[in-house]
Amino acid sequence: MVALVIALALFFDFTNGFHDTANAMATPIATGAIKPKTAVALAAVLNLVGAFLSTEVAKTVSGGIIREGSGGVQITPEIIFAGLMGAVLWNMITWLKGLPSSSSHALFGGLIGAAIVGAGFSSVNLETLLQKVILPAIFAPVIAGLAAYVCTRLAYALTSRHDPETGSKLTQKRGGFRTGQIFTSSLVALAHGTNDAQKTMGIITLVLIAAGTQTPGSGPQLWVITACALAIAIGTYAGGWRIIRTMGSGLTEVKPAQGFAAESSTASAILASSHLGFALSTTQVASGSVIGSGMGRRGTTVRWNMVGKIALGWLFTLPAAGIVGALTALLVMTGVVGVLIAAIAGTGAVLFMFFYSRKSSVSHQNAVEVEEAGQAVRFAKKKAMARARAEAKAKAKADAKANDPKENRR
Amino acid sequence: MKWLELLAVAGATLIASATVVTLYSLGVRLTAIAGDAEQTSPGLKRSFAYACFGLCGLAVLVGLYLIIPYFSK
Repeated sequence: MVALVIALALFFDFTNGFHDTANAMATPIATGAIKPKTAVALAAVLNLVGAFLSTEVAKTVSGGIIREGSGGVQITPEIIFAGLMGAVLWNMITWLKGLPSSSSHALFGGLIGAAIVGAGFSSVNLETLLQKVILPAIFAPVIAGLAAYVCTRLAYALTSRHDPETGSKLTQKRGGFRTGQIFTSSLVALAHGTNDAQKTMGIITLVLIAAGTQTPGSGPQLWVITACALAIAIGTYAGGWRIIRTMGSGLTEVKPAQGFAAESSTASAILASSHLGFALSTTQVASGSVIGSGMGRRGTTVRWNMVGKIALGWLFTLPAAGIVGALTALLVMTGVVGVLIAAIAGTGAVLFMFFYSRKSSVSHQNAVEVEEAGQAVRFAKKKAMARARAEAKAKAKADAKANDPKENRR
Repeated sequence: MKWLELLAVAGATLIASATVVTLYSLGVRLTAIAGDAEQTSPGLKRSFAYACFGLCGLAVLVGLYLIIPYFSK
């Protein structure tokens, strides 16, 4: 059982990684700031580093949503197994649909479902649930979206340049925002690594303690840290291209200045929330930022039906993962055979979704219509335009000599 | 309910991101101005631009300081 839970926990860590690559790397990929492959590699390395940076393990896996310990539920490996199963399956489904959804909420949902089956409704702390999951889910996108909207407006207002006499546009060099995007997105990736790998470390440590192979109150062992860090890094490198596509081009068209505004809002929101005590989900913050920046730039449309789909996904995260968690808990409680059935069914479902996804493959080649190509064209165009302008000037001069006023005016 | 924390997070997010974006945008604008052909003192403008980018770099360092738990203990 312990080995099974650890394997599943590591797989959850993996799905967490590839689910959340998009948060950090979707916008720089979309604007062509970083090449897709490089972007996911960078995110993977930063996640790996982040996982090692912080080993302050979440002492309560569920964050107090389930009443643990005396007077509540004894969190057993079985409940954790069921909860993880719910989280993993929901992560796979949302990935298949290309929806960004919070991995931690899926984990909470799974655990809640399992705990309700295992110990009844009283085991769930509703007030904490409201405070830690439901309210943040509403406010995270609003806060980040507002910040991104303001920032996008600011960025465009500050960089817009017009010739005071003719009113024609001057060079704005907004491509310069691409360099900034590399830094802001790296911050997001690093913050993700320090936070999310901890959850899995916490789970594995808890299971080890419950199984009696580790003394209570001690930190995670080195192999646990290494395994979790590697799992999240490999997951990140695998890249959830479907979700990257949604975040990078499905919600709105992202330009460098917009991407920079969105990412700095994401980074500030994550850092502010983790240090001022109102935990927000990275995924929800990042999605809100992208939407907000889309609203901030004139001439862009936000695809609201995609936004609706994502919101619906968030709404279902908790109950759907909860139901899977509950069903798994029911199976597991029947004994060893149940555990086996649950494990095989879970593996089967994951494999099915994986092969189903093969039908319409989304990879780094076609995830986002990258501006890269457009960029090359634009450079070429600029040169060509400069040449054309020089030629036109020469021609104009020649024409002026030839006394053709029409050509001259043009 | 932790409304105060919520407000604090919202305010901090807005202020932090707006500051960084303002600085970086100024940097971008100054670079663009310095690149203009008829500019009288491109060197000065360019150094201002780099100062803006440098301040943004500082903001990134503050972010790192906040992320890495070793420092915030």
